[in-house]
Formats: sequence, structure tokens, C-alpha cells
Amino acid sequence: MAHTNQSEALRLGITIFIFLALLTALEFVVALALNSIPLLVVVALVKAGLVMYYYMHIYKLQQESGGGHDSYEYKTGTNRLGLWLFLLSDSFVFGGLLVSRFNLLGFTRPHLSQVLGLVVTVVLLVSSFFMNRAETQMAHGNKKGFLGNTLVTILLGAGFVIGVVGVEWQLAAAEGIRASSMVDGGIFYMMTGMHAFHVLTGVLFLWIVYRNARKDVYSAEKHWGVEAATVYWHFVDVVWIFFYPALYLIGSVA
Amino acid sequence: MKKFFKSALARGLLWQLVGTLVGGGFVTGIRAVMGLEALGRFGFSEPAWVFGGLIGTLTFLGGSGVVSDWVKWARGIPTHDHHEDPPGWEKFINVSLDHKVIGIQYTLTALIVLGLGGTFALIFRTELAASGLQFLNGSQYNTMVGLHGIVMIVAILLGIAGMMNYLVPLLIGAADMAFPRLNAFSYWITIPAAIWLVSSLFLGGFDTGWTGYPPLSARAPVGMQMFFLAVFVVGWSSILGGLNLLVSVARMRAKGMTSFRLPIFVWASIATSLISLTATQLIGLSFQMVMFQRLFGMGFFDPAKGGNPVLFQHLFWFYSHPAVYVFILPGLGIISELLPVFVRKPLFGYRWVAMSSLGIALVGFLVWAHHMFTSGMNEYLRVPFMYSTLLVAVPTGVKFFSWVATIWGGKIETPTPMLFVLGGVVVFLLGGLSGPPNATVSTDLHLHDTYFIVGHFHDTMFGGFVFPFFAALYYWFPKATGRRMNEFLGKVHFWLMTPSFLVLTLGMMRIGLLGMRRRISDYDAALGFDTTHLVLTVAGFLIFTSVLVFVYNLFRSMKKGEIATGNLWNSRSPEWQVDSPIPAHNYAQPFEVVGEPYDYGLPGSKFVEFAKPKP
Repeated sequence: MAHTNQSEALRLGITIFIFLALLTALEFVVALALNSIPLLVVVALVKAGLVMYYYMHIYKLQQESGGGHDSYEYKTGTNRLGLWLFLLSDSFVFGGLLVSRFNLLGFTRPHLSQVLGLVVTVVLLVSSFFMNRAETQMAHGNKKGFLGNTLVTILLGAGFVIGVVGVEWQLAAAEGIRASSMVDGGIFYMMTGMHAFHVLTGVLFLWIVYRNARKDVYSAEKHWGVEAATVYWHFVDVVWIFFYPALYLIGSVA
Repeated sequence: MKKFFKSALARGLLWQLVGTLVGGGFVTGIRAVMGLEALGRFGFSEPAWVFGGLIGTLTFLGGSGVVSDWVKWARGIPTHDHHEDPPGWEKFINVSLDHKVIGIQYTLTALIVLGLGGTFALIFRTELAASGLQFLNGSQYNTMVGLHGIVMIVAILLGIAGMMNYLVPLLIGAADMAFPRLNAFSYWITIPAAIWLVSSLFLGGFDTGWTGYPPLSARAPVGMQMFFLAVFVVGWSSILGGLNLLVSVARMRAKGMTSFRLPIFVWASIATSLISLTATQLIGLSFQMVMFQRLFGMGFFDPAKGGNPVLFQHLFWFYSHPAVYVFILPGLGIISELLPVFVRKPLFGYRWVAMSSLGIALVGFLVWAHHMFTSGMNEYLRVPFMYSTLLVAVPTGVKFFSWVATIWGGKIETPTPMLFVLGGVVVFLLGGLSGPPNATVSTDLHLHDTYFIVGHFHDTMFGGFVFPFFAALYYWFPKATGRRMNEFLGKVHFWLMTPSFLVLTLGMMRIGLLGMRRRISDYDAALGFDTTHLVLTVAGFLIFTSVLVFVYNLFRSMKKGEIATGNLWNSRSPEWQVDSPIPAHNYAQPFEVVGEPYDYGLPGSKFVEFAKPKP
């Protein structure tokens, strides 16, 4: 959004982050106090909507891209449509996993560490916040700000993977939730594993973009690579917005 | 031969071998260190085969060079947008970014794979020619049946990808697909997959048929895993191909080509691509889940661990039913595309036909459980799925009305492509009419898993894919090569294949109604099916012979065919308004759409107008 000034765009990012944080807190309290499934679904949908509109800028799909078919702007519009179709396709995998989870486990959930679940969720949410800052700064030609914020995002993303795979998996295994034990273990490792794989590819993608930005490949006008990495990163966050309640909050402990 | 060894294909295959050995060796080493069983019945252990297969697929892609531009981008190195191919035949075994070359690569691969699938069919068809076991044992028979199914599915996916890749950019006036590198990637990834598919034959085979249902698939030999891996990889080709096509149609159309001036084949391709973009993920997921169940003991489909085998069937059919619409919609689009050309009349009800493809695709998402009426799923699901399935007949009926009304009163010409179009209409009608008995719960409980089903879906697959595919090959062969195929041999092909095929499927339906089960290697002689089965086997061989005639015609016409560089069929479509074959990046002068696409026989009407060449 080149027409707004940078501090305005950054302020919008902060406002949205505060909303997301409040909703996450609400979600946690609702789950512990009321255990209302419709309310959890509504909160997740609102969070996903906020991220998709304000962080992933889904409305850009509708923008008329001026210039001829060979212009950078038109090609970016084409690329954007391709990326969103890919995300649509990918969301069928995660949708299939959610369907499997409810088919097999119903409204019970595996016994997992609530504290750790909340911590990794917050880590991923904060990483989305920094990613939004990074993209905004790139769009305003602020390379230094972009590099700093991207690096924070990468570190938080790596922290998320370590939290899930390095800590949570070990804790769950110690609780007796193993891949080869009952099916709740299978579902837990499959869902978190598939998501962690996407986080890893996202981290790799961000690392590539970070390196290229240091080589001055991108500019305020031409930075499709940055936009793509950003949208993908937020998509991974959106997936977790649904996976977190499905694994940690909905239903009663089996 | 020297050109072959230097090609991307040869390099890719070599790297696939290396990658597989390294990946498999790596896992074997780790297992040996951990004190697990390092070697299995087929050299590597099962995890080593799966991991080796995965690495081998990746090294194929790296070795063939299809991802090298992306690697450059990742390293911040810009690449050229326009690639030129060498003039000779070797461009077909090297990485090309030209959609026409990729379309031909897909088509040739499809023909090879079709031949392979047909061979599997002939092998087990010969076994069935008489009651009792002749030369196959039960496990070999099952593997043959399963491979025939899945290999044919892959062949059809390749065939429609070939048609869509070659035709859609030409029809919409684009220089290429929206993402040429992704397009090449979608093609090349099918090669390692095809190899894994065939490798399953040598790794113990699989007993499950192409559906791979657990619990049997959870304990079949290693071949099962290679089958799952192969289908998973082919799925990516389908997903990315669909994505590419949708974006191309959305963003690359010529001036004036509004949605209701798109050729019907483009509409059909949109509908097909919507399904392959989304639903394919679920067959990939379901197969992955079985793979993980086998590798890590996860209990998804194991009732002893709280799993549910019926869940697999839901996930599997959520793709695999819409997939049949992926197979047939492009073919039905070809029929609508060619009929007006050969009857010299406008296509009847253009808008209805355009929307019917989308209608079939959307309703197709809601019918999957009709494959599961006897599976033990919740009974209350049966009736809604019965009605949604019967609803598919409505948009399909729209197409038939359009075809019949288009033919009505036309000046019908019958060169070879038109013969295949008409054959396709008749055969697909048989397939369509034999569908509702399977969709209706009360009759399906009797028909399920009988040869009636086998006859039904072979009619739909031949009418919806094979006949239109051959029609398209005869019709656009001159566009691709500048020569036309031999008419006499084409007619021999048609008149040999069509009656044999009708005998085959009607015979299948007959014995199915009398109680012949599908997917079994033997049957009781007292049932009295021996004669019919013998006739079916002979019919199968005749079909194969007719395809051999086609293959001979194809190769002969490439070199000796009559020169045909102009508008051979007197078509209105833009690709026929320029000389054949079309150069890279397609039209030298852009065209503008100024009228309706199918107004044949209306004097003075125009579809496209080319810009004047710049002096």
C-alpha cells in the first residue's frame, strides 16, 4: 500500500495484532471456562479473517493491475492469483486433517500441555506481526527495517518448530502419546508434523528472501518475492489458528 | 543415441537411480546402527525403499534441470524469460518451456502409458478367457488388475494434460501458459512417478486393486508403498497443472475474449482444473496416512487402535469420484468443440453447455459416498448421496441435448476425427445410461462389485476420454506437425475398435448382471461364463490391434503424411487461421475476438480478427 505512509501502515499492523492477541486470550478463557465449541469456531474464523485481510491483503486479488501483459505489475497480479490458488489447494490437506481428527476423536482431545500450546501459539502470532512490519517496510523502501524484522520472524519461526517438535513431542511421548499408540497419538503427530513441515518451508522461504534482500534484489516497487514469502508465512499462521483449538481447546481430555 | 544420453531425460533417470540408492542406503545405515532389521525381502527394508523413492524423485528433478531456474531465483540470479528449443526431435526429451512441446510430451507419454496399461489388461484378460487358473497366481492377478487401473488413470491424466496444455493457450490467444516453468515441472515430475508405479510390480506387487483400501493395504508388500508414493507424486502434477491452467485462462486471454466467448474446451478445462486443484490433495493425504500407518504404526485406519477404515474411503473417494469428471470433462469439451465444425452449424445452447461443465464439477464434489453404499458407513448417508448422484445426470443431459440438436439438420461430414466424435457420443451414452442403476441404492446393493460396474465405467472412460482423445489427435495432428494422418488407416482404427469395444462392455454388463464378481482371478465353470469371457478377451485383443494400427499411422504420418499447413477442417478457431506448425510463442500477430465462437454456416459472421502485421 504505497499510498499510505509507513507509520500509518505500521500502526494498523499493531492494532490488528492487539485484536488477535485479545482474541487468543478470549479463546483460551472460553475453552477453560465455557468449553463452547460454536464460540471457539467463531473466534477462530474472526482471527483467520483478520489475518487474511490485514496481513495477507487478500483484497489485492481484486485490484486491476495496470500496464500491458508484460509489465511487472501485471505479472505480479498473475503470480498473486497463482499463489492464492496454491494456498486454496493446500488448505484442502489441512481441511482433510481436521475432518480426520473429528471423525476419529470426536469431541475428545489428547492430554497435552496447555502452557506450551499457548506459548507456541503466541510465538507464531508474534512472528506474523513482525512479518507484517517487514513487508510494510520493504514496500516503503526501508531495507534495513525489512532485514531486522525478517530476521526476528525467522527466529520466532524456528522457535515455534523447536517448541513443537523439540519439546512438545517429547512431552507428549513421555505422557504415553506415541505415534504407534492409540489413534489420538497418530492424529496429534500427523497434524503437528504436517504443520511444522510447512513452518520449516516458510522459514526456508524467508531465509531465501532475506539473503536476496541483502543483495538488493528487491525494491519498493518490485518485491514480489517478499510479498509471496509474507503471504505464505501468514497462511501457515492461519492454519495454526484452526489447529490450535482443534488440538488443545475443543472438547474434553480423553 | 548420443543425443539421448545427453538429454534431460537420461540425466534425470541416472540421478533418480543414484538418489534412490543414496537415500535407501542412508536409511539402511541408520537402521543398522540402531540395531533394527537393515535389509528386507527386496534388498532395502520398507522405510529405506520409501525414503529412497522420495530422494530419487527429488534428484530426478534436480538432475533433469527442470528446477534450475528456480534455484537461480532463490540465489538472486535473474533468468531469461524466453527460451528457444533446438529444431530437432531431441527437444521432446529435454526440458522445454514451450506449452506446445510440453503438450506433445504429455501426449506421447500418455500413449506409452496407455499401451502399458492395455498390456496389463490383456494379460489378466487372457487369464480370464477360461475358468480355472491358467498362468497367473492370485497375487499376480491382483497386481495386474490394480496396475491396469492406476496406470490407465495416470495415462488419462497425462492425456488430458496434453490436450489442455497444447490447446488452451492457442484457443485463448496466449503466448504460453501463465507459469511456463511450473508447466514443465508438472510434466517432468510424472516420469519418476511412472517408474515407481511400475517398480511396484517387482517389489511384491499389491493386492488391493487401484483403490488401496486399508486394512489390506496396511499389510500388503512393499509394492504397495511404491504405488502410494507414485500416486502422491502424480497428484502434484495434476494439482500444479490445474493451478497453471486456471491462472492462464484468468489472466492471459486475447482482447475481447469474454467469459461467454471462450471456446467450450476452455470451459471444460476450467471445470476439470478446479477439481484437480483442490480434491487431489485428499487422495494424497489419504495415501500418506496409510504410508505413515505402515511406517510408524499410526492407528488412523486400524480399529484396534481406535482408527476407522471407512474414513479412508471417504477421503479417497472425495477425490476419486470427482476425478472421473476430471477424466471426462475435457473429452466432452472436445466433442462440443468438433461437432459444429463437422456439421457446419452453430453449437446448440452454447451458454448451457459452458455452464454444464461447471455444474458437473460442482455437483461432483457432493457425490463421493455412492461408492460406499455397501461399505458399512452410516445408513442415513445413503439416500442423500443417491439423490446428489442422480443430479449429475441433469448437466450431462444438457450436453447430450446440445449435441443432438447441433447434429440435427446439419451437413454432416465424416472424416476420421468426426467418426471418433460420434463414436464417443454413442459410447458415452451407454456409459451414462448404465450409471443411474449404480447410483440407486436398491439396485446398487446388487450391482456393487460386479462386472456391470466394470462395463459401465469403461463406457464412460472410453466415451468421455479415449474416443475424444483419438478425435483430438487426428484433428490437431496436422496443427502440430504440418502433415495429416492417413484417412484410410484412421478409418480402419475406428471400425476395428468401436464394434469390439461395444461387444466388450455390453458383454461385461451382461455377465455382471448374471453375477460375475469383479477383481477375481477365477470363476466357477458352472456359471456358464466361459464363452462370454472368451469373446471379451478376443474383443480386448482386437481393440489392442486397432491401437497398433493407430500407432503405425502416427509414426508413418509424421514422416510421410500428406502436407497440410492450412485450415484443413475449415474451422473458425484462431489456431487454424495461421500456418501449421505454430512457432514458439504462438501468434506473430495478436488477434481480437469479434464474434461468437461457433457460428458455423452463418454468412459474414466472424470469430477472431488478426491485427495487421506491422510494415
